[in-house]
Order: sequence, then structure tokens, then C-alpha cells
Amino acid sequence: MSHRRKKLTDLLDPVFMSRLDTLDVMSRKILQGKLQGERRSKRRGQSVEFADHRPYVAGDDLRFVDWNVYGRLEQLFLKLFLEEQDLTVHIVADASASMSFGEPSKELFIKKLTAALGYVSLVNNNRVTISFIADGVTVQLANMRGRNYLNNMAECLLTTDCDGPSNFDSACRQLAAGRIGSGVMVVLSDFLFKEGYDSGLRRLIGRQYDLYAIQVLCPQELSPNLNGELKLIDIEDADAAEITVSSALSKYYKRNLTAYCNELKNFCTSRGAVYVLANSADSVESLVLNYLRRIRLLR
Amino acid sequence: MEWLTPLTALYAATVSVPLLLLLYFLKLKRREQIVSSTLLWKRAVQDLQVNAPFQRLRRNILLLLQLLVLLAILLALAGPILSLIAGPASRYVLLIDRSASMNATDVKPSRLEAAKEQAKIFVETLRSKAFYSFKDKSDQTMVIAFDNRAKVMCNFTSDKKQLNRAIEAVIPSDGVSSLAEAIVVARAFAQSPGVEADYMSAVEPARLVLFSDGQIRDLDQILVGPDELTFHCTGESQQNVAVIAMQARRSYENPEQVNVFATLANYGTTPITCDVQLSINNNVRDIRPVTVPARSTDETENAVQAGKLALDFSLTYTEAGVLEVRKLQGSNDADCLSCDDAAWAILSPPKKLSVLLVTAGNKVLESALQACPLAKLELQSPAQFDTTDQNDLSVEQRYDMIVLDNHVPSALPKCRYLVFGRPPDGIDVSAPEELENQVVVDWRTKHPVLKYVDLTNLFAAKCHRMILPRDADVLAEFNETPAIALVRRNGSVLLLAGFDVLQSNWPFEPGFVLFCYNAAGFLGMQLGGSQEMNLKVGEPIVVEGLDGQITAQIDGPDFSGTEIRSSSSGSLRFPGTGRAGTYRLSIGEQPARFFAVNMLDPKESNIEPQREIVLSGQPVQAEASDLSRANLPLWPFLIGLALVLVCLEWIIYNHKVRI
Repeated sequence: MSHRRKKLTDLLDPVFMSRLDTLDVMSRKILQGKLQGERRSKRRGQSVEFADHRPYVAGDDLRFVDWNVYGRLEQLFLKLFLEEQDLTVHIVADASASMSFGEPSKELFIKKLTAALGYVSLVNNNRVTISFIADGVTVQLANMRGRNYLNNMAECLLTTDCDGPSNFDSACRQLAAGRIGSGVMVVLSDFLFKEGYDSGLRRLIGRQYDLYAIQVLCPQELSPNLNGELKLIDIEDADAAEITVSSALSKYYKRNLTAYCNELKNFCTSRGAVYVLANSADSVESLVLNYLRRIRLLR
Repeated sequence: MEWLTPLTALYAATVSVPLLLLLYFLKLKRREQIVSSTLLWKRAVQDLQVNAPFQRLRRNILLLLQLLVLLAILLALAGPILSLIAGPASRYVLLIDRSASMNATDVKPSRLEAAKEQAKIFVETLRSKAFYSFKDKSDQTMVIAFDNRAKVMCNFTSDKKQLNRAIEAVIPSDGVSSLAEAIVVARAFAQSPGVEADYMSAVEPARLVLFSDGQIRDLDQILVGPDELTFHCTGESQQNVAVIAMQARRSYENPEQVNVFATLANYGTTPITCDVQLSINNNVRDIRPVTVPARSTDETENAVQAGKLALDFSLTYTEAGVLEVRKLQGSNDADCLSCDDAAWAILSPPKKLSVLLVTAGNKVLESALQACPLAKLELQSPAQFDTTDQNDLSVEQRYDMIVLDNHVPSALPKCRYLVFGRPPDGIDVSAPEELENQVVVDWRTKHPVLKYVDLTNLFAAKCHRMILPRDADVLAEFNETPAIALVRRNGSVLLLAGFDVLQSNWPFEPGFVLFCYNAAGFLGMQLGGSQEMNLKVGEPIVVEGLDGQITAQIDGPDFSGTEIRSSSSGSLRFPGTGRAGTYRLSIGEQPARFFAVNMLDPKESNIEPQREIVLSGQPVQAEASDLSRANLPLWPFLIGLALVLVCLEWIIYNHKVRI
């Protein structure tokens, strides 16, 4: 095994990377950051961009009093400016055993997507946190900023294996507890959790975060090509399901899959989150360059 | 609808249905397949179960189909029959002709087999009282097979299996066909209610169903009611060449010389050229090509005369043997009946006679008999003869001929007698008075006893008046009484001359020596031993004078090694001479005895099928067409259904497996 340092180009095509250079992560809401960054914040603050007036109350900074309005109306108003802040981008990638399933595998797809989103965020000086979750948060690269972290990120992505059972709820609890401030959170998973995704997602949505749920499924899940009398074994918990594949059964499977995805989508949209379904057989490039821009995760 | 074999199906069902279910519920060995999550699959399975109320059935549709297939097969096994006939139940008597002419092979495999097949179809058509029948009435049928005897194969029953078995058990014979006895038997049975007769009244006449070729000899003795008898005729051809007569006898002059006479008859419409083979003890002695003329039709009597050809063979043979005259298959010969192609005769070894002369002293008679070719001549005085054990003589047959000269014995052992003087008692001949001065007025010159004998000058000074029974043959007559007569009584043959030779001028006539010679020859021929060995089909083989309770083995043309036991009185009787041929009887260490059983029946050999039979002037037409099955067997449809279901199952299985 070579001890060559893992590079981002192992995951992402340089041409694709050069196209990513033009993009930046966008928050649908302008969200508060920690440093004075390059973007507008919803918080009124010291910036050049005027936002609004409000009546003066005792204790306000007299520097922001709009004297022109006072001269005209003899009332004290404060000028409010939009403060520009940096953006926290939190990428949560599912690293449970189920992600290693599929041909092409969901794992590779998720890692590529994570790399692309991380790259865009780091290049635009956003605060980036990458978390791998299984039955909890397994690996976390927290608070990276700037191009210097690209190689760290690449190494982390390339050395993390998808293994072990999943416990989405406990992972989300850890994420929510460890999360500070607000920003954009992208959750990459197949969301096929036996205990359900709703309590976990509810924890993540609960804070001031712009949540993107990207569900990645492989073609074998989207349209299974099984036949005969089968004993299906769950890759994570070795749970067995005995089925006799029939057209009726596969019809019901597809109907269930659609219902499951729609349910997740409705869950997300009704709570202000964005839901994206991705097929691991599709190209990450077109997803990032086209679809994510269309839904305004990137610009 | 009826079921032929419901129990068979039931047994099969009790075995196969649980077996199928067991097989179905055996744990299926499933292929293992790893998936990312069983979540959705479980939900899908749940949905499948929840959303389909008949899900169990749907999942088990293959089982259902298999059960249906099995059901169809089981139903087929039960033999369902759709009966298409209606009407009240009836009683039938099936009369199956199994006489010799039914062996003809113009209908394949034989007329009898065809008739049996027809009878079976008839039985199949009947309505039986079955378990699951839609109706409660059933036809009662009995089966009688007949040749010259009627044999009840099966009493009235509605059990078709039993009827079929009874029909199957009818075996061909070479006897002649006579229907009268069969009909008498049938009516006797029909009058008594059968075992299963239940509500059926015996008053209701049974209907007679005759399966025959119409060649029945005693039709004029049978009277049937209108529509009482239905006649199904089998047979197509009348082509048959038969040996209709055969006799073999040794010449008395030269006992080594054997003469065989045979008559061949051709019942076909073309002359037949064929070979006739004479063999003795299975060694061929002569083959003679013959042409038997075709049959001729007598215009005036409208009767058909078979073309006949008489044959005689002559050969020298000094031992006992079995003679066979066999017609060999000719080139243009479409002979349909084989059992009348041969005839057999048992040839006794040539025998010189042992003669006992019972006389008080008669040199004339003694010297005349000594001139004859005899094996031995014994003399006894009347007193000696009377003291001899008569039964012993009768049984042992020490003498072939006994000459009684003026002696009336107290008892008459069974033998051949030449009697001079007063006839003995106990033979229905009475001699009430003596006559005097009798001259011969007439005599039968053609009779073998009087061959070359000139009685013109015969004069008897004293003669007994003989009053003869009606069946006696008078060979010569004096002016007032028969002079020489032939009487057969109690197994004995008596040649009676009612006068003392010494009281006549006969000793001085050359005719006297000739008469003695002829009489010895004729009575020697009446030995009768060979006659008992040449029988007609159906006549029993009888051997008398054996020890009581001995076991003998008999071999026949269609069986061998049958054991029979003699009765306590020492007679052996074997009635099973149904087939023509030679029968061999072996009793212990004794040399085997042979019996020839011959058909030799011109009427039975005429195998032309009669489409119309006339019963005592009442014509009965044969049914125009063969019987057809009025019952529709349903099993082929059920098997077809099972096949369709199997195909359907295959399609569904494939459809389920494919996604």
C-alpha cells in the first residue's frame, strides 16, 4: 500500500474542480456567522449596506443616528445596516455499512459529493465541518477554513470506510449538541433507517440551520433486479426477510420506495428543509453543477 | 353420472393430497441475497399481505393449481361416466356363442373376441347402481356362454366389473352351437329374482341379447316372444375348408394294412387347391395335393351345398398310433377357421382274436373255427363255462369272441357271441317253440357276415322260432322264423343262428366255413375299443375297469397335466373335451392311452354368418350396426383439464418469477 498522501484529485476531476471554483455555497436565509465574512447577515450591523430605520431608544449608539431624518422630522431614528458574516457549512455524510452497497456504490457517490461541496466551501472561505455518522458521529473535521484544509479533507474522505450499524437519531443528537451558530447543513444519506429519520432530522432542523437532505440511492434500490425465492439479509444488522419475488411484490416495493421518498420530501419541505433524491449511478458533476445550483444550494 | 372406480380414487386421494400439501409446506430453501436494507422489502411484503384480502390464496395459487390438477387426475381415476340412456331399468341375459365357428378369424382377432367386445360395450352401456349416481335404478344382467352346452358365467347382477370378468372368462370351444339349452337356463334364472333384485319383479321378462354368428343348429326348437331377443351378428366371411369326416380302420384280411378315409368340404365360393397331409404319431406319411371344388347353390331348394372331396389313404402300420389328417394352408386359401382343418383317429394295433368255444362236442364247428386266423381257440364244456366267474370274464375280456354251441348259459358276460341253437336269455329274444324242416327264403348278401356265403341250399331239420326285438338285424330268414340275426344287448353283440349246426346240412356247404370266417371277422371288428377312443367334441373320455381312487394325468390340446381321480367303482371320466385334438391319458405306469376328439361337423364348419335367424318360423334380424358406447367416459376430459392446469401453473410460475 502506498503511503502517498491522499489528494483531492483522487476523488474529483481537476476539470470539475476548476468549474467548482466559480461556485459558492449559498444560504437561502442570510445567516449569522462567527467572523465578519463576505456575505450579508440577517443581523443588522456595521456594514455599508443600508437595511432599515428604527426609532432610537436610550443606550443606542449615537453614531448610527440618522441626522438627516432628525433634521426633517425632529425625531431620532437609527440607521440599520446589514452586517456581512461568514457561513458555516456542515456536511454530514452517512458512513454506515448500508452506504457501501450498490453498484456504483453510494459510498463513492457521497464522498465525491462531500468533496465537491467541501471544496466549494473551503475555496470560498466558509467555515466547513465534515461529519461522518453511523451509530453516532464517527469522524469529524470541524471548523476548517481556506484552501489549506483541502488535503486534510481529502485524506479524511479517502480513509474513512463505511462500516457498522447506523443510529441516525443518536448521531443527530450528537451533531445538534456539537453544533454552534448557524449555517448550511447538508445531510447525505440513503435515509433508510429502521428507527426512522424524523426524530433525527427534527433535531437538525430545530436550530438556525439551512438544511439540505440529499438522499442517495443506488440503482439496485431504485429498481431491484431480483428473482426467485430469496432470503434478503440486511447488510447492517443481518436482519432477514424472506420473500418470493413476484410482479406484485416488486410493484409494492416500488410503490413503497416512492412513498418513502415522498414522505421524506414532505417532511423536509414542510419544515423548510430541501430534499434532493440522487441516484448513485448519475454523475456527481451534473448534480453539483446543475441541480444543486438550481435549488440554490450553490451559486 | 356414475363412477366406475370411486374407491381407487379415494385411496389415491388419501395418499396424494396430504403428500402434496406436505411437500408444499416443506421449508423452501431460499437463496440468500444481501441488500442495503430490508426496510422497504418488509414494508412491501406487508403491503402485499395487507392490500390483498385473498393474499394467502394468491400466494398459494400454485398450490391451488396443483390441488386442482390432482383433483382432476383423481376424478379421472374414479372413472366418471356420463350415462346417456334413459328409461326404466331392465333385466338382460347376454348369450355368448362360443362354438367352433366363433373361432373364425375373419373378424380380428376372432369372432368370439369381437362378440365379447360387443358384450362388454353392452355392459358398459348399462346403468349400474353406483355410489354417486344421479339415479337409483340399475339394469340387471346375466351372462351365459353356450356351445352344445350352456354355461352360466354370471347370475343377474348390476356389478359391471363382475359382468366384465364373466365375459372375459368365456373361453372358446370346438363344440357345436345349440341355443335351446341356453335359453331354457336363462328363463329359469330369470324367473327367480336375482341376488340384487330388490324391487325388481321376477315377472318382468328378461330380454335376451344374443352374440353369435347365426350358425345355430337348433333354432327351430326355440320359441321367443316378439322383441324378446336381440341378435348381434359377428363374422364376415364364409371361407373355410374343413375335414368333415375321417375314419381309419385296419383291413381284416391283412391287419397291418390301414385304410384312412377322409372327406374335405369347401364352404367358400372359389375352388381351393391345397395339400392334405397324413401323419401318424406326428411323422408325416403322405402329402397329397388336392383341389376342393367351390360350394354350389341348389336352385330348387335354395340351399347351399359345400364342395366336397373324398380322400383315401392306405398305409402299412403294425403298431398303435395316432393318425392325423390335416389340411395344409393353400396358396389361394383364405381359410378363416383352423380348428376343423385336422381330424385325428386312434389306431389300435392289429389284433388276432382269442375265441372260446363252449360246446359239448362239435368237431365240425371246431374245425371250421380252427381254419380262421385266430390267436387262440379254447374249448370248454358247458359245465365248465357255467362255473367260470362271469364277472371276471366281463371285466378282463379274456376272449374276443365266445361261440355258444347249443348252450344257454345262466348269465351272459359282456362279450361278442356267436350262438348256435337256442338263443340265451336276457337279451329280449324269446324262443317259444321249435320248428321243423326250415329252408332259407332270403338273406342279406351284402352284410359282411354273409359276404360270399350262399345259403340257397341251407336246410334245418330243427330250428327255434326266434321272436326278436325291434332293433335286431335279421340277416337270413327261414320260411317261418328268422334264421340268422344280429342283436346288441348290454354291451354285448350277439350273432344268433337259431338252429343246431348238426341238425342242418350247413356243415356240408362251403358257405359254413365262410360264415364262421366272416362272423369271427365281423365280431372281432365290434371290439369297440377304438370306438371309445374316437370321440366327438364335448363327449366325455370314459375309461372303465380301473382300480378305484387312482389318480391319472390327462394332457389335451390346450392344457396339460390335469389330474383326475377314478371313482370308487373304478371308472374314470373326463368331461373337458371342449377342444378338438388328441388327448393323452397316463395312469401310473401303464402305457399312455390316446383319445381323438374330433369336430367332424359339416354344419359347424359352415361358418357363413347369418344376418337373419329364424326361430320356429319367426325371423330375427341381426342389429344393423355394431353396439356403440352410450356412456360417455369423462376421464379424457379430466386429464385434458389437468394438462391445461399444469400449463397454466407453469405460466403463472414463470410470470411470478419474472420481474
